[in-house]
Amino acid sequence: MIDHKDLRPKDLGNPDQQLIKLQELMPLAAPYDKPGMEPDFKEIKDSWKEKYCASLDGFVGIDTLIRPKSKEEEEEFVGKFLNGLEKIFSDANNGVLQPLLLSFEYCAKCNTCSEACHTFAASGKNELYRPIFRSEVLRKIAKKYFTTSGKFFGSLVGADIDVNWETVARLGELAYRCNLCRRCAQTCPLGLDNSILAKEIRKIFSQEMGIAPNPLHEKGSMLQLKTGSSTGITKPAFLDTLEFLEEDIEEKYGRKIKFPLDKKGADILLLHNAGEFMAWPENPIAFAILFEEAGLDWTLSSEMMGYDNVNYGLWYDDTQAKKIALQQMRVAQELGVNRIVIGECGHAHKASAIVADRMAAAEGKIPVESCLPILWDMVRTNRLKLDPGKNNFPVTLHDPCNVVRQMGIVQPQRNILKAICTRFREMTPHGVDNYCCGGGSGFAIMNHCNFSDFRNKVSARMKFKQILGAFQDTMENSEVPKYVCAPCSNCKGTIRDILEYYQASAKFNVHFGGLVELMVNALVSMEKPFLEFLE
Amino acid sequence: MADLNVNGQVIALDEDGFLEDAGVWNEEVALALAATEDVSELTEDHWKVINYLRNYYEQFGVAPMIRKLCKETGYDLKKIYELFPSGPAKGACKIAGLLKPTGCV
Repeated sequence: MIDHKDLRPKDLGNPDQQLIKLQELMPLAAPYDKPGMEPDFKEIKDSWKEKYCASLDGFVGIDTLIRPKSKEEEEEFVGKFLNGLEKIFSDANNGVLQPLLLSFEYCAKCNTCSEACHTFAASGKNELYRPIFRSEVLRKIAKKYFTTSGKFFGSLVGADIDVNWETVARLGELAYRCNLCRRCAQTCPLGLDNSILAKEIRKIFSQEMGIAPNPLHEKGSMLQLKTGSSTGITKPAFLDTLEFLEEDIEEKYGRKIKFPLDKKGADILLLHNAGEFMAWPENPIAFAILFEEAGLDWTLSSEMMGYDNVNYGLWYDDTQAKKIALQQMRVAQELGVNRIVIGECGHAHKASAIVADRMAAAEGKIPVESCLPILWDMVRTNRLKLDPGKNNFPVTLHDPCNVVRQMGIVQPQRNILKAICTRFREMTPHGVDNYCCGGGSGFAIMNHCNFSDFRNKVSARMKFKQILGAFQDTMENSEVPKYVCAPCSNCKGTIRDILEYYQASAKFNVHFGGLVELMVNALVSMEKPFLEFLE
Repeated sequence: MADLNVNGQVIALDEDGFLEDAGVWNEEVALALAATEDVSELTEDHWKVINYLRNYYEQFGVAPMIRKLCKETGYDLKKIYELFPSGPAKGACKIAGLLKPTGCV
């Protein structure tokens, strides 16, 4: 193992020993600043090392990246990668070619980006996780194979990396140590974006080598294309779910609500992350209560691809992303709605409103909007009768990167919280300067081998520290319930896991949920609390 | 996770201990899976949950919502955790032979 301070990009080509081992992590805030407050990393198993690539940092993120059985397999693996690498710099990659080339060629190595990266900070500033470290490896490989100087002069011109199975596999793993949150891109004085390079590596692995984490591809995109949802919810299961929830709403809250379904010509098609129905049905219930109370003309869709807004392709594969985006758009076209509104799911915001926009043909394109300005509009125009006194406990807000940094939707969610809570406080920093929850770009649902340790202890560490910071006044008073509002399914899953991992719910009464749940809890017309922890 | 050995038959499990192939499930496999979850015996209460999960899975190809599981079996979440210490998804669904949950859940 190498002391991380001496680690250089060319070390990725060293034979198969684990490059670094994480030790001194960034300290957490009180009461987690004392020893014994957090679990240790799970021991890595020999069987994982033998089967997968655990030689980067001792974590396994890609469960389909299997060690080769022969020299031929190794050569084929490296060859396919190099072939794919050459391709990303060609016109075939026109969607991203210009920003990719800028980020690839113009980095001044000033390291401003390192200071912005939550994973680099959380790791105790480990060299491996500098945003530019990964980019430098990629540059060295490209230099070695695709430039005249690199081919002839090798290490004299910086093309000093040995490219074998281990190098490429480690680089693939390293592409899954970045949440693609783009906080680094926001601080770069030249406007360069290291996350593009991480994403391009993931793309080469998926599109050219057929390697992507199972939860994202096989059990994600492919399952969605087959059943209509990455959760595996089929149309009959979806209909059964809605019917059950309608009964449940009546029994629990005494309200008769019928989810509008496949309503042709409705103003709004509301697209939820289907994971909400499985894990947090109170979220789609809350949307229904609010939309009905505000008198919106809206509908859900029960058509294939019409009841799950996720698009995991965004994180690793352009062709999968496009297939899903176009099918989702077609559902809205066939319903003849005025607009698609994306529920509380960050990456679906980006996928549908930004990425799909460039993928869909101009004719028949349906406008895509975020739910947040619409929700604020309901509050602002007094269409909902709200009593902030019902949310009389500390609340903080997690900003999903795709909503704030990618789309600039910053104020509506805070305006709402200020109107419906008595004890709202911001995290530091927040808004477009927010930190990723640590689950972005697929991490939230990648739990293979020991990967959840990397998420809980490293990539989500900064978020946990921010949560502790926001609640410092009452953190250790377990009588006071505290609520982390995270209007994104993916962020919610990550925050649920960290609260469980650090036992923050059990010990300190910290809860989490979306924004609409808090809004419904504040509704004057609700007789009982909507939030279960208040019961 | 190590594979299961049930009466000499090797049953493949994924890294989290879920069945790789839902088709190999039977009551003996359930007992063997229960042992991996620190559930030493399967009582009538356990079977009520397992049977409900399996019937739903057979009909819809996916696990039911936890709310629905509680309502249909008449057991609240606390009781489910008593029966299956790892909870409804990681414990009950696993022993019932359902595949690992997918998507943003």
